Order: sequence, then C-alpha cells, then structure tokens
Amino acid sequence: MQTKNNRTRIQIAGQSGAGLLSVGLIIIRALRDLGFYAVADREYPSLIKGGHSLFTINVSTEKIHSLSNVADIFVSIDKVSLTAYFDRLKEGGIWIHGYERLAGIKDLQAKAKERNITEVHLPTRSTAKSVGGNDLMQNVVLIGMIWKVLGLEFADVEEEITHKFGKRPKLLPFNIAAAKAGYDGVETQQKLELPKTKERRMIIDGNHAIALGAVHGGVRAYYAYPMSPSSTILTHMADMAKETGVIVKQGEDEITVANLSMGSWYGGTRSMCGTSGGGFDLMTETVSLAGIIETPWVCALVQRPGPATGLPTWTGQGDLKLAIHGGHGEFARIVVSVSDPTDAFDITQHALNAAEKYQCPVIILSDKNIAESLVTVPEFEKGKIKIERSLVEGKELETIKSTDRYKITESGISKRWIPGSNVDEYYFANGDEHDEMGRLDESEAAGDMYAKRVRKLETIQSELPEPDIYGTEKDADISFVGWGSTKATILDMISDYAEKGVKINYLHYTWVHPIRTEKLEQFFTDNCNVHLIEGNYNGQLGKLIEKETDLKFTGKLLKWDGRPFFLEDLENYINNN
Amino acid sequence: MTNTQQIASAGIAHQYTDYETDEVMTWCGGCGNYSIQNALKRALSLEGIDRANVIFCFDVGCSGNGSDKMEGYTIHGLHGRVLPLAAGVKMAQHNTHVICEAGDGATFSEGAGHVVHAIRNDYPVLFIHHDNQNYGLTTGQCSSLTPKGCKMNAAPEGNPIEPLNPLEVVLSLKPSFVARTCCVDTEHMTETFQKALNHKGFAFVETLQSCPTYNKHTTHEWYVENIKFIEKEFPDYDPTDIWQARKLVDNTVPYLGMIYHNPKRESFLESLAHKDKNDPMLIDEVQQVDVGNFMATL
Repeated sequence: MQTKNNRTRIQIAGQSGAGLLSVGLIIIRALRDLGFYAVADREYPSLIKGGHSLFTINVSTEKIHSLSNVADIFVSIDKVSLTAYFDRLKEGGIWIHGYERLAGIKDLQAKAKERNITEVHLPTRSTAKSVGGNDLMQNVVLIGMIWKVLGLEFADVEEEITHKFGKRPKLLPFNIAAAKAGYDGVETQQKLELPKTKERRMIIDGNHAIALGAVHGGVRAYYAYPMSPSSTILTHMADMAKETGVIVKQGEDEITVANLSMGSWYGGTRSMCGTSGGGFDLMTETVSLAGIIETPWVCALVQRPGPATGLPTWTGQGDLKLAIHGGHGEFARIVVSVSDPTDAFDITQHALNAAEKYQCPVIILSDKNIAESLVTVPEFEKGKIKIERSLVEGKELETIKSTDRYKITESGISKRWIPGSNVDEYYFANGDEHDEMGRLDESEAAGDMYAKRVRKLETIQSELPEPDIYGTEKDADISFVGWGSTKATILDMISDYAEKGVKINYLHYTWVHPIRTEKLEQFFTDNCNVHLIEGNYNGQLGKLIEKETDLKFTGKLLKWDGRPFFLEDLENYINNN
Repeated sequence: MTNTQQIASAGIAHQYTDYETDEVMTWCGGCGNYSIQNALKRALSLEGIDRANVIFCFDVGCSGNGSDKMEGYTIHGLHGRVLPLAAGVKMAQHNTHVICEAGDGATFSEGAGHVVHAIRNDYPVLFIHHDNQNYGLTTGQCSSLTPKGCKMNAAPEGNPIEPLNPLEVVLSLKPSFVARTCCVDTEHMTETFQKALNHKGFAFVETLQSCPTYNKHTTHEWYVENIKFIEKEFPDYDPTDIWQARKLVDNTVPYLGMIYHNPKRESFLESLAHKDKNDPMLIDEVQQVDVGNFMATL
C-alpha cells in the first residue's frame, strides 16, 4: 500500500496554535531515530491562533527530498480543518481522528465510507482524561494512535515523548499514559517496513542551515528585522550567540539592518542580514551603496509571494528579478540560490567568500519552502569550505598605497584592507563617485571608475561555477531547468520515473546571476525536450535565459499560488509532455 | 591655555596636521563646516587619537561633503542612514573611535527613526549633529528644524509648520550624553568633542551651524550675539538632572555646554551579556566556528 520510493504520506490538520506542530515533530523525530528518511512542512495562515493549518510528513526507507500533496494517512483534530483538507486523503486511505461527538461528523463519515477510507477513531479528550491527563494531552493520544497505525513499537515513540516533555517531570507520566492509551486503543493499519540501516541524521530546515553556515563561515554579527519567512534565521542566530560570541541585533527596520551590516563589513568583520521581499525593497539603496564602495555585503532573501504583504506564510520564487536588479545604478553583484539545508550550509559560506573576493553585494535567495521544510540529512561537513577573506594582510600591508583601494584594474577588482590596518595608507569608502583612493571625483575620469565596477561582473561571470546537472547527462525523455527549491521535487521525480524507464534530467542554477550559459547551451544540444520550472508567473529565470541566449524552452511549468511544487504537479506535467 | 597652544606645547601638531587635507574645499565661504572640522581635528589630536584609531562616518549633505576632507579612514554612506552605519562599524571595531556626522535634514527627517533607536540602544559612537536648520546642498529647502515663517526654497510664502526642537526630542529618549556647541566658537567645540570622545555610550553633540547662503535667520553674527554658556549662566546647573536639561532646552536662548549626562547608562556593548569589553574586536574573530555541538542536538 506504500507508494513509490516506499513513501508513506501523513497529513495532520488542525487549528493553528492547537499543538499539531509538536505532534508532527515528535512523530518525525521518532521516525528519524528509527533510520527513516523524512520530509515535513507546515501550511498555515499568517495568524498566531485560529485558522487551520496542515503538517505534512512524508517518510521513506529511501532518500526523499520533497512532498506529495496526497495523504495515505490523514489525522484531524477539528472539523474546520478536516473539512478543508479531507479531500487530500486518497481513496482507500486511513483517517485517524479523535472526535468526542461523532454525530457532528456523520456526513464526513459517510463520505469516508464511499471512498473506502478506513476510520481509526478514539475520543482523544476523554481518553486523555481517563488516564488522569488534561485537555492538552489529547494531542499525545493522537501520537499514540498514529504510531500504532504505523505498526511501530511503543518504546520508540515513548523515548521522544520523554525527550519533549521531560522538562516537566510531574506531567511526564500522564503524557506517556495518554500516548499509551492512544496506542492501545487502535489497531495497526499500515505497517511500516523498518529501514535496514540507522545512520545518524539531523532534522533541520533551510533557515537553520543558513544560520549554521553563517556562524561556521565566520559571521560575527547578524542583523535582521523580523519578517516571515526569514525570521527564524534571527531566532537561530540569537540562540547561538551566547556560545559563539556572535553579536545578534534586531534593528528597527530593514534599512537599519542593511546599514548596520554594511558598517560591520566596512569595519572589517563578516556580517550578514536576512529578510524577505518587502524588507529587501527597503534595503536596496544599501545594496547600491555596497556596489559603489565595493564593500562586501551578504543578505539572505527568503521569498514569499508578493506584491506588498502578499502571502506572508506561503512560498514562491517571485523575487529573482528583485535580487538581480534591486538598487539604483549599474554595478556588479552576485545572486545565488539555495535548494535544501545541506547546500544552504555550504552556499552561505561560499557567498561570504565571494562577497569578499569580488567586493560586492551577494544575495542568497531562499524561499518559505526551503526555509521551513524539515528534512533528515547527515550532519553538515565542517571545514570543507575554507574562509577566504581576500584581504591585504600581514607584510603586504606595508607595500600598499591609498590608491590601491580603488585602483582601476582590468578585472575590476582592487585591493582591500581593514580600516586602521595601515595608518598612513587610508582610503575613503565614498558613496559619491570617486578616484582611486576614494576621493570625490566628478571629472570625466569618473566614467573610468564606473566602468571598472561594472566590468567586475564579467570577471565574476567567468569565475562562478556552472550550473549542475542531475539525472542522465543527455537524451532525456524530458528535461527541466530551474533554480532554488524546485530541485527537491525534481530529484524525487528523477528516481521515481527511472523505475518506470523514463529518463528525466534537470539543470539546476545555484549561481543565478551573473548567469553562465555554456553548460546550458550544451544541455539544450544534448536534450531535445527542455522545460522551465519556476515558482513564479513570468518564468523569470526563463526570461533571463531567453534574453541571454537563443534557446527556447519547449514548455514552462510555472506556479504562483503560494504552494510549493508537489510531486503530483510534476507528475501531471511530465505525463502530458 | 587655548587648545591651539595646548597642541603646540604638547608637540602634537603633527597629529593635527595628519588629518589636514590639501584638497580644495567645496563649502561656501563662511560655512560653519570649516570650524567644525577644525575643532574635530583639534579634539582628536588633544586626545591622542591617530588615524589608526578612528573611523569617520558621513551622511549625505554639506556635512557629508567633508567626507574626503578628513584624512583618515572614512565611509560616506546614504542620506539619513549614518547612525546605523556607524553603529555597524563600531560593532566590528569596538576599540576604535567611531565618529559620525549628519545634518538636520538627515537626522530629523530622512533618518529620524534611527535617532530614536541610536539613543535607545546607546550605540557607543560620537554623533555630531550639524544643525544649520535647512537643506543646504539641495539649495535651501526647509528642514524639520527650520523656524516657522522663514522663506525658503519651495516655501515661498514662508515655512508654514512649526519646527521640532531637536534637543527636546533627544532628551525625551533618555540619552546618556547630550551637549550643545556652536560653530562660531572653535575652542568650545573642541572641548565638547573631547568630552564626547571620552563618553562610553552614544554622544549626541548638537552643533549649531551657520549657513551663509541659505540660512538668513540664524546667521554667524546672530550666534555670536546670542550664544550663552551654561557654566557661566547657571553655576549650579546639574547635567545629571534630566528635568533641568529639559527645561534648559525649552528656552529659545542657545545655551552651550554639557546639557545632560548619565554616566550610569549601559551602552549597547555593555548590555550584551555574552560580550566583554576585553574581548577581541570582531575583526579579529573571523574564523571557522565549530557548529558540531549545535548539529548534535538536531
């Protein structure tokens, strides 16, 4: 009864703030401990309490990267959520619920019967109370029920419940009793086959990975103003501050944040800031400043759909053009995208190195789907990416001249040193047009300095990595080109369809701007059915490619409703193309 | 002894001249900026602060056009944004003096929000507020400090709106250091900047400045006639008493001197429980930090 890739799909629906997040987290941790691969994400409205939300877990003995939009097992806590999401449960699926008064859901029960759905029921509140627990513990009863339905040993989930509620030892026995009552009260329906090996994996989301990458990459100051879905980078940085000595400051707005960060980079340390689209709009003047004073600056732009407030808690890839073009004037910058926690950890470090090497702003694009999806991944490889500051240091400091700072070079890159590190060879980081030491210059020679800065983009373009190809190199039945979070869904498709004998491949842009197209051109030569996949309306990367090359996509799979690409979106598209 | 004499007798003239520029000045003749920069150079040399130990941060405007006229490490940022920019620099180099300068347009219009939070956070920087009560570089429009009724560019019938009282705003925010000085008195400015350089938190120095081209209401001559000194006028004035300070700035007389000082206030860096002033500067801390412990908990 399990689907492709041994994937079991569980969805838990309930009122926002009713605790289903902790139900989901306990389940996913317990599954992880048994060696399962899992992916989980939460759909929720921009509210603290009320409204309904959905926690989706896909679990497998094989490596999986993305989510299905369909449930094999559906767990519901209240009627509003149940009604909203009931149709996600597949024909013949399992419905776990904990209603006290069944009379109120007769219509849904009838519907379930029609669709051959197995109903697994226990009145969770009274069950919790029957073992001495309180109202809140009905969630724990549900955990026990889910665990039993999956045919897993109670001891394995008990461990996680102890981990979660151990801080309140007086209540712990009641929590365990509630879970046990749920477990004992129902029958196993869909026994999970256990993984053969148990290697240690973390459960982590993309924002947390960016924070870890920043700390590992030498960021000593992090500045942000809360904005979904970027806010948890700030949370994680603050949580690590005490142990690592990083300064974490919540500024009064994004303009402040951008300038605090700019100041810290100019001062000579590594810093970072993070925001979403609206906040980045406010930062763009500072991006422009970084462009002219050729000072590194790194910002994580975690996208949600706009315009304006848009869909604050949903996902999208609509800000690629903003990242590439936001800020007045012409200057060099780098836009890089992350696609999952593992590459977010690495890319953040690469971004910091690139910002210093090329002395320009670097924008790290992520989105809500990456930011909040929990994935089981091995611990990140530490020390793999060395910190490269590209600064004049040590003995070389004695040989520099003030005019080296903005020396007009062929590559567009000049020397940079920390203010104060050479007393006599100081320079002006001047937001006004300037000469080679940074002194204000409005003469016609100003054009040469302007050209030097723009020329840097060609240097960057020739040195940035080419995109990566996943799946077969050539002669695929269908090929995709994309960036960011689309990678996860396609990776799952590649393996799913390989089983059916269908060859899929995918060219993934990590370094999006300045865009390199040599490998892409070859990809189009080697594959004849190439499609664009992007989470926006206009196909922004596609337009960029079509502008830079003569390539034409056979088709475009675009999505802009705030939802990520689910497996089914790709399946439908592939089957029709 | 005047501070010129002090500099000469201490043999630190070279420290003063280190900051001097050979560049052609671009301010109008009679602009207050000349003496303000002169006083700042004096204060730095008297305090023994050389180019390796100070970073200048400039806003945009006439004051900002001094950004390449102070021979030292400077950053000339965006209009209205010098306060967070300077605070960011200070985070990176907490043992370096960070001096930021901005006009009244930047401070009380474009970047008014930053003033509130720079004071609230007590970022340890010296802020010289160039108050010439108008937008000089954009040719004389009203600022939020231009007196009501003044005929200005884009206000041909006279400024219709009451101005802000900048020090009333500042004092309402519980600052740690507020002084007022004036460009007509280099000696007083020098001493004021010296005091501010020794303050451990955010030092707000209101610097009244003439603008010979556009400010016809508070001219150089007007200041010469009207400035009064707190020390002389009010021998019992207690700068640690915020209510005295608030009363003082309510007066239209430009009293110069130390207006308010709260040495007990915790500066931003002192408020960071996990940081210590003896810690290395952030510029010396950039290295791979082991995140294994954090990953182990996930």
